[in-house]
Amino acid sequence: MMISSVKPVPIPVTVLGGYLGAGKTTLVNRLLSGDHGRRLAVLVNDFGEVNIDVDLIASHDGDTISLQNGCVCCSIADALGESLDRVLALDPLPDQIVIEASGVADPAKIAAYGYGWPGCRLDAVIVLADAETIQARAKDQFVGELVTRQLRGADLVLVTKSDLVSSEILDSVVGWVHDITAVPVLPVARGEVDPEVVLAMSRSDLNVGSARVATRDSPPLTDADAMFETATLALPGPLARARLEATMNLWSQDVVRVKGIVWVAEADGGNAQPHVVQRVGLRWSIEPAPTDIDLEAGGGRLVVVVLRGALDATALINDLVDAE
Amino acid sequence: MADITVFTARRVRTMEASMPTAEAVAVRDGRIVEVGTLENMAPWLDAYDHEIDDTFSDHVIMPGFIDPHLHPSMAAVLLPMEFTTAVEWDLPWSDIGAVGGRVELLDRLIVLDAELEPEAPLFAWGHHPIWHGEIDRETLNSISTTRPIIVWHRGYHSLIVNDACYRWMDIDLEAARRHPQIDVDRGAFFETGLGVAYRHINSFLLGTERFRAGLDRMRQVIHHGGQTTIGDAAMGMYGFEDEWEHLKAVMERPDTPFRIQLMPFEMGPLGDEESDEAMIERILAYPQRNTHRLRFSDHVKMFADGGFFAEMLMLKAPGHLDGRHGEWMTPPERFERVARAFWNAGLKIHVHCSGDLGVEMVLSTLEKLQWERPRFNHRFTFEHFGISNAQQVARMAEVGALASVNAYYVYELSRAFADHTLGYERASQMSRLGSLERAGIRFAVHSDFTMAPAKPLNNAWVAANRLNESGEVMCANERASLDAAIKAITCNAAYVLGLEDEIGSLRWGKQADFTILEDDPYDVGAEGLRDIPIWGTVFEGEKFPI
Repeated sequence: MMISSVKPVPIPVTVLGGYLGAGKTTLVNRLLSGDHGRRLAVLVNDFGEVNIDVDLIASHDGDTISLQNGCVCCSIADALGESLDRVLALDPLPDQIVIEASGVADPAKIAAYGYGWPGCRLDAVIVLADAETIQARAKDQFVGELVTRQLRGADLVLVTKSDLVSSEILDSVVGWVHDITAVPVLPVARGEVDPEVVLAMSRSDLNVGSARVATRDSPPLTDADAMFETATLALPGPLARARLEATMNLWSQDVVRVKGIVWVAEADGGNAQPHVVQRVGLRWSIEPAPTDIDLEAGGGRLVVVVLRGALDATALINDLVDAE
Repeated sequence: MADITVFTARRVRTMEASMPTAEAVAVRDGRIVEVGTLENMAPWLDAYDHEIDDTFSDHVIMPGFIDPHLHPSMAAVLLPMEFTTAVEWDLPWSDIGAVGGRVELLDRLIVLDAELEPEAPLFAWGHHPIWHGEIDRETLNSISTTRPIIVWHRGYHSLIVNDACYRWMDIDLEAARRHPQIDVDRGAFFETGLGVAYRHINSFLLGTERFRAGLDRMRQVIHHGGQTTIGDAAMGMYGFEDEWEHLKAVMERPDTPFRIQLMPFEMGPLGDEESDEAMIERILAYPQRNTHRLRFSDHVKMFADGGFFAEMLMLKAPGHLDGRHGEWMTPPERFERVARAFWNAGLKIHVHCSGDLGVEMVLSTLEKLQWERPRFNHRFTFEHFGISNAQQVARMAEVGALASVNAYYVYELSRAFADHTLGYERASQMSRLGSLERAGIRFAVHSDFTMAPAKPLNNAWVAANRLNESGEVMCANERASLDAAIKAITCNAAYVLGLEDEIGSLRWGKQADFTILEDDPYDVGAEGLRDIPIWGTVFEGEKFPI
């Protein structure tokens, strides 16, 4: 009997960037303890900063802290590659890797680990900016250029501590960031951001098939994601690749995140094949779905997260499928 | 055995202003008893059994040379490799000519391929596109299809490999192809792509046997350059305890004719909840493990901006010629916090800084610390000091800073950086020494080996002449005087390390560490410094010919 080796599905990597004090650690803490159903491996620069509730810790082994919920937190020390290898050797594999970039790193450079490290794929570069200080930082003689470059490298910018400034100032900060980058800019108060915005569709999403996707038709409306609306677009049939790609390019920055499974028909005919579609900010990818999971045939479903007030599900569907 | 050994010489150059020259040095138990003439030493020689050693009757005795900043561990990785840089290297086991162009590099690789054992990978360090042009996978395949060949950038910026190396590394080429900083077709790994390559070759490069063989070569290099004291200016880069074990095994031997002053590499508190206080306590405890030759004191090493050779320096306006950006190795806020903790604990801080924005950040921090808690004799030292301006030098003088400078940048990089990185004005003034001297700032010159050859006389020669590899004098006004250049490898280097009461000049009570030269640098003059032959050294009273 021939044994074929199943090539493991690349694990999505999210890079969290932003200068010191932007709130990366707060977000990391939330992701580690959050109820998002994923086993995350979070690579941090410094355990000291991460404040994990001792009750949640299952074990602590040198560079790695394992949590009861299946998440792990690893310190990067000086070797990001080694840390990646360490979490890629975990059994079971994590659903997603989150890299907390150092405050002076160019997150676009760290993103290269997502693209290219064996076993990984880049999901998104998310850059945090402190609403209170970002504009002053951007003028600082030592870090101004760096801070601006960090924002330019983002697929999604989170303006943090938005509850600490007046709405006028918040508006001006968001507008100022928009002048620097074309990607979505989302205010975040008290570190509360919907994990579904930050995290990719993961293998565990895939494993429970479309059921999980389908149950998120009405997302929990918490204070944190009051600024978003989420909709599940059920697709009537396979989509032509060219049309799907064109739509991924077409959708505006109001569409913060897209993820789902779509049956994609190639231009050269043949049977449509299931693909995982992901879009963060303006970055998107369409990759063949893993072969070792069961998916229901048909068109597939896309979950879209859109800025509140900007959602028009019918229009979005129409962008994908010709109106009959 | 006699109690006292008296070394007589054609001349003893003391580097002590009270008595600049002498005829003899009397030594007991590795320390100097008296410097002067045999006549004046009579009270000692009458009182104790003694012998006269006239080995150096035709030579000049200098204080043992000091290189206050190099990296034994980095050297241990590199020295087992083949050197193929655009400048010459005179290493103890071979004299390696400059590999000046593309054809020369390929010829050299062909020769090395023929010499090496069939299975051994060929690591060649020193490629730089400015001199050697582009090299790619196919180029290296044409040299060997069976031997792994790895060509390493001079500034460790990239490496280029052949197909045999891909097989040796057992690398997933399909995954590598997706990496934006690996060019599989060209065989090139750069920036973060290097991490992918390292994971396959590090176990080879850092293997104990190879690493210790490299350290042993480092031992020879240091002796060869005439050094009797060096500073390891970032102990712990590859892992503190591992390095410590390797250093003890290789360096702490009776036939090692030098001591190593160790500066721990500190980026701030260690991860897991170490407080600033615990960090200070940890650092202050290091001297408890000192051996005879390996010594910690109260000096620490910090980092500001990226490397000079790697062109990652942080620059003030107008920035890099090609618009690229440097990088902070430590975020400025973190730098300030950690430096404050060190400053308030009375530690001596050394800071790697390459560009004028790096200097600015470090200098403003020092000014702030001086304002908050004035200190004298703090030995705060700017290390490397690639690009700076004259106004910064004036401020450094105000706050009592020192400098330990890589003067050799001028020799190897000033023309290339003028053309490609900085433009002429800034490039010609890199490693400014004349300004430091005029401002009365004490400075050392160092090699940062393998950034520069670990040859103090050569580095002093660059400092005093500012001739580059193209033969141009780069900014004559920034030359050090002959006297300052010699002090920079002796007494002022000792001062930078905080060891001026032990070494750096010749007088009673100091270590009997000598570098034995065929000529007196003060007779030879600045132009001839690098050509003065070195007989060898005396370390703690014992002769070590080269």
